Amino acid sequence: MSDEDDFLAEAFRRQLASVITTEAIRRAERGKGTADLWRELDASGFADAMLPEEQGGAGIGLTQAFPLILAAGEACVPLPFAETLVARGLLTAHGVAPPSGGAIVFGGASPVIPGARFASHALVPSAGGLHLVLSSPLGDDLFGTGGATGVAPGEVVASLPGDPETVILAAAAVAAGLMAGAMGRVMEMSLRHAGERQQFGRSLGKFQAIQQQLAVLAEQVISAQVAARTAFFGAGFDPVRVAAAKCRANEAATVVCNIAHAVHGAIGATAEFDLQLYTRRIKQWQLAYGSDSHWAARLGRSRLESRAPLTSDFLRLRLGAEVA
Amino acid sequence: MLPLQTSRGACSAKRVQLWPNQASRLTTVNRETFVSLTLQNFPPATIPPHAEALRGEVKAFIAEQLAGVPAHVRARTWSGFDAEFSRAMAARGWIGITLPREYGGGGLDAFARFVLVEELLAAGAPVAAHWIGDRQSAPLLLHYGTEEQRRTILPRICRGELFFCIGMSEPNSGSDLASVRTRAERVPGGWKLNGQKIWTTYAHKSHYMIALVRTSGTSEDRQNGLSQFLVDLSLPGVTVRPIMLGTGDTDFNEVFFDNVLLPEDALVGTEGQGWKQVNAELAFERSGPERIYSSLVLLDLWASLLGASPDPADAARLGRLVARLAPLREMSVATTALLAQGKSPLTEAALFKDMGTEIEQQIPAEIADAVAARPDLAADPELLRTLAYLMQLNHVFSLRGGTREILRGMIARGLGLR
Repeated sequence: MSDEDDFLAEAFRRQLASVITTEAIRRAERGKGTADLWRELDASGFADAMLPEEQGGAGIGLTQAFPLILAAGEACVPLPFAETLVARGLLTAHGVAPPSGGAIVFGGASPVIPGARFASHALVPSAGGLHLVLSSPLGDDLFGTGGATGVAPGEVVASLPGDPETVILAAAAVAAGLMAGAMGRVMEMSLRHAGERQQFGRSLGKFQAIQQQLAVLAEQVISAQVAARTAFFGAGFDPVRVAAAKCRANEAATVVCNIAHAVHGAIGATAEFDLQLYTRRIKQWQLAYGSDSHWAARLGRSRLESRAPLTSDFLRLRLGAEVA
Repeated sequence: MLPLQTSRGACSAKRVQLWPNQASRLTTVNRETFVSLTLQNFPPATIPPHAEALRGEVKAFIAEQLAGVPAHVRARTWSGFDAEFSRAMAARGWIGITLPREYGGGGLDAFARFVLVEELLAAGAPVAAHWIGDRQSAPLLLHYGTEEQRRTILPRICRGELFFCIGMSEPNSGSDLASVRTRAERVPGGWKLNGQKIWTTYAHKSHYMIALVRTSGTSEDRQNGLSQFLVDLSLPGVTVRPIMLGTGDTDFNEVFFDNVLLPEDALVGTEGQGWKQVNAELAFERSGPERIYSSLVLLDLWASLLGASPDPADAARLGRLVARLAPLREMSVATTALLAQGKSPLTEAALFKDMGTEIEQQIPAEIADAVAARPDLAADPELLRTLAYLMQLNHVFSLRGGTREILRGMIARGLGLR
């Protein structure tokens, strides 16, 4: 990553810090102020970052978009910002102008669609490619985050050629990126809590049992973050990279949420505490766009179908980092 | 309900003091200063072309050398001792590949060694004879040794003539390494060594040991007063006794020192700085592919038997293992890049190794479960031999090179908890 990419991500973090307060997240969960919040986020221009410079974007690719998605996960952005960022990039790459001011989610096969209640549009797979449709949420908001169990596709706004699978790959990659960011913040909150909360006359973090748990938490977070980063190397979403990223994020999420809540104790699950804002979303992303078993089976088949003689060759050729 | 209410009450009361303005606190926190172990510790890295260029040649060499060697033998990887194989590698210039040419080395960088080692381990080449000398002892001598030590020892390591072992653990010093009691005393013309080491891998087939011993103070002085010595294992007073494991393997030894007279120049580096010198080696010892590939021969044999249309449960099992391995390989490459830049990524290596040995343990466990999930099907005999070998060994993978609990303690320190 170049200094310029870091600069963009840092600027985005500062923007989020002023806009996405925990109060704003809670208001959004009650359906309040979301239109204003989206307008403010959209006006910042970061959701257009993948558009070419002549169309008002920053012309960044997926690799440079990853730090923004990670930051959105860290900040617990309650609206489908990351999804819109990537969807606008996909649309523009196909010569379709993104709907002005529109918030876009990924439709398609998934028991939950995070952010569906805040989305004006959805990208969905179609017979010969992808459709951008007007979208309305279907079913319950199971996790109280503004999600839905599906989207009702309305008028087709644009038809894109290409592989219909692009939708699920983008959706799973973005979910893995957001989970990676959110898990990073959950780790930070757990470390802070362990440093401040006193029991038996010492801070929790002084207990070896807690230290060992937090070390495992850190391992899982960093491994999931590395895997998610890998899904964003290259020009497009590769099924092998996405499969590894979503599988790893989902597996890590279970361990991370369990340890974080164990370290926090019951207070971490209360409405007034922020931890649950993150862990409820992490659990929703776990259920969205393919479970670890789903992606593991795909990844396993890809390994068997590949001509790489050894698994180490497969890791190197299909799942390695790319540095510009 | 009462405990919850009590705990909430206590927490809420405390939050008034500690979190007066949680919203602003959460959003303005400087992440870099708070969490010291993040994705930034593993910057994306790729192996440069000059190192990748070596891969084809290494693959061809391995294919020739290991032709016809069955999987259950190859599964020994870096526990497999074969002096002839090591000398064939030396003939190619592949022992001490990172050492300067003036000392007989290859003059290449850490990435070249990564490529070489990755291919050797993935194929299950028997690298144990030169492994310790190549990975640790030669770099140690290069860094801390005298010019005389470098000139006399390093070229012979590179030629595959000298094999090394490491004397760290003692009967009463396992993870608590700073409590070692083996002692070297100054005597006219050199040092007198007394004490005992244990779990010394291949001491019975090695020429030299790099030993961590006490030169001043007592166990109570902990890390202070420790020094490293180059011990010629053929000297009078050295007794090597193999330890037989339940499997019949005799890789480990006890090594006894009874008034062993060491020459003046057996001291490596600075007297009393042994602990610091040992720690400098640890990032090298813990960050390489050997921490993720110890069960790879088994995984690839099993995968090859699954064929093109596997049972969906087996495909998922394989995919899960691949998904866990992938970020670990990236982390190993990233750590290699940090080492190549002259950094000492100790915490990163601890985090990588703890997860790496876990996957090495999981692979035989998963494949055992897969094989026995269908007791009605006859399993491949070579798969069973390879599986059984690793099933009897995998529980100790988290012990060698720093135990899981010690590593997690180091990670906790990196996280600022201790």
